[in-house]
Amino acid sequence: MAHAHSVKRHKGLMDWLTTVDHKKIAILYLIAGGLFFGIGGIEALLIRVQLAKPMNDFVTAQQFNELITMHGTTMIFLGVMPVIFALMNAVVPLQIGARDVAFPFLNSLGFWTFLFGGLLLNLSWVMGGAPDAGWTSYTPLSSTTYSLTHGVDFYTIGLQIAGLGTLIGGINFLATIITMRAPGMSFMRMPMFTWTSFVTSAMILFAFPAVTVGLVLLSFDRILGANFFNVEAGGNPVLWQHIFWIFGHPEVYILILPAFGVISEVVSTFSRKRLFGYSSMVFATILIAFLGFMVWAHHMFTTGMGPVANALFSIATMLIAVPTGIKIFNWLFTMWGGQIRFTTANLFAAGFIPTFVMGGVTGVMLASAPADYQYHDTYFVVAHFHYVIVGGLVLGLFAGLHYWWPKMFGRVLNEGLGKVEFWTFIIGFHLTFFVQHFLGLIGMQRRVFTYLPNQGFDLMNLISTIGAFLMGVGVIIFLVNVAISFKQPKGVAGDVWEDGRTLEWAIPSPPPEYNFKQTPLVRGIDAFWKEKMAGNTEMTPAEPVGPIHMPSPTILPFVMSVGLFIAGLGFMFTSDDFGNSLLNFLFSNYIITGIGLAITFGSMLLRSLYDDHGWHIEPEEMNDKGVKA
Amino acid sequence: MTNHDLNDGSAVKHRHRHEGPQKHVIAFIFSIILTLIAFATVAAGGVNTAFTVLLLLVMAVLQVLVQLGYWMHLKDKGHMMPIVFMAGGFFVAGLAIIAALYWMWW
Repeated sequence: MAHAHSVKRHKGLMDWLTTVDHKKIAILYLIAGGLFFGIGGIEALLIRVQLAKPMNDFVTAQQFNELITMHGTTMIFLGVMPVIFALMNAVVPLQIGARDVAFPFLNSLGFWTFLFGGLLLNLSWVMGGAPDAGWTSYTPLSSTTYSLTHGVDFYTIGLQIAGLGTLIGGINFLATIITMRAPGMSFMRMPMFTWTSFVTSAMILFAFPAVTVGLVLLSFDRILGANFFNVEAGGNPVLWQHIFWIFGHPEVYILILPAFGVISEVVSTFSRKRLFGYSSMVFATILIAFLGFMVWAHHMFTTGMGPVANALFSIATMLIAVPTGIKIFNWLFTMWGGQIRFTTANLFAAGFIPTFVMGGVTGVMLASAPADYQYHDTYFVVAHFHYVIVGGLVLGLFAGLHYWWPKMFGRVLNEGLGKVEFWTFIIGFHLTFFVQHFLGLIGMQRRVFTYLPNQGFDLMNLISTIGAFLMGVGVIIFLVNVAISFKQPKGVAGDVWEDGRTLEWAIPSPPPEYNFKQTPLVRGIDAFWKEKMAGNTEMTPAEPVGPIHMPSPTILPFVMSVGLFIAGLGFMFTSDDFGNSLLNFLFSNYIITGIGLAITFGSMLLRSLYDDHGWHIEPEEMNDKGVKA
Repeated sequence: MTNHDLNDGSAVKHRHRHEGPQKHVIAFIFSIILTLIAFATVAAGGVNTAFTVLLLLVMAVLQVLVQLGYWMHLKDKGHMMPIVFMAGGFFVAGLAIIAALYWMWW
């Protein structure tokens, strides 16, 4: 029965370039996300240095615009999104008892398109200037009339390619969660992190097409001379705002929902209690996703949509506080009466709750349209969204990383250092952003590159800058902790926290390549905890031991992404004069673009024509030496 | 049909039964009728334009429902997820269209 044909096993770098294993792709996402997170963080520090004192000339106004644009874009699209995908890749297949995601090839393709999109975007720094129209890239500021460099082209093309990866990833997780749950795991027995990943993936599916369309229109306007957003020719700049926010608002829920999932897992594990109100948690998650699509115009109260639209979007926005409040109370009730252990992961989760509530409260304040006319485009808004994204999402990601690090790498992070990191980071965070509420209320506008002295801004800006550096120190401590953890030998206990509730803790850390030797039988919510309470040390198998079918590694996703990268770069420079007739000929006749697309479509053709049946891991291999992950 | 029943006997009761071709023939005829009505209304001319547009839209919606229900099997069991996600897609796209129609500044 089992064909014993072997597969070529790659070593070293080639192994990472060709892998289709969700656990390795998770690590790739984490490394790439960490890299971009670092770049975005350095940009943030440069911004804070410039604003530390009035009339500072550390950077020029143009450089400042580039810094804020790239900080926002990098952090959202290239920093936190991949770290979310890292956790989803590392954990979701394990939590549902699957051996991989539904489409391992696509998983790899999603990562490489994201990476090359991100690299393209960041190339702008050394190729004539970064995008400078803000992360929202509002027209007409982002049109060729006002943004003369290729910066915004790097933004549109880079995000287009990176967005493709996100869309692919989202669809992959939808298919995985719908079709690959272990026997017995009904939807209402799925762990909370899997639930939030599922809902986030659904939101990606609906929201990303909007930004894809928007970016196509904007790049056509800029590169091919179209007029979608050009008023002179009958276009409409408000159309861009609508398209951007129809994507952009769901995007912030795409970001925060996985963090909600992480917090639910961490709080429940370290309280030794099942999650309070599981079904209301699921309901609240879906409701947030649903409402999240009906509130985008609250970013546009001041564009003049009229009182009816403003009132509708105001009410819809305030409604979101209800399901979010349900979640907050559920976490509190989960902790209530639990045997709480304040590990680093749980500290981050406990820090998340009050911090996120503060961001939520300012969110409801901003939802009031009349008041928003005062807050709009001030530092109050900056404080609000950093409270929900850094105080919410980033704290959630740190909680998740500390919690699942042993599962991903087989090594624990040092608890002592972790606690120092937590306190440094959260104190730094509140120092940075708490004062920005008041800066906004007394009239400091966002996106200004400097300000005059003696307006009451000076001290608070200095405090904010000091806080930012403290956050930087916190991140460095985390990196040191990571470096130290790799000095340990690999292979901690499977259930390393001893109170693991979900399926991922039922298998070794790090898991073998095939995850589950036998697909587990799920007999209730918190499947592994239920078995432990029944006196079992491992899951009841749902199938006999047999050969396991595995997908083959392949370099094609990498090559396809390189092709898209080349095509994008070629497309951007079609109307440039390089002062060199050969280069001019190659670019203006779309030859470079054509070569890139030929590489991508050629790889797709190769993939379609060459049948790859994968390979098998035989039971003997599992028993004897184990297959190394 | 009968062969299936005889063979299965006590086996899996809820296995997929093949429908006869009748339903698909009916769906096919229905699709053609819908198309003919649409073409005929325009070809006949002299009909109020607003009425024509409305009628075409109604015919189009019915056509989509027939196509999705019968040919894409959405009316069959086990298609809940595709229906949920398509409805979600319609919802989001519909909102975008409403926004573009009513909430621009002019």
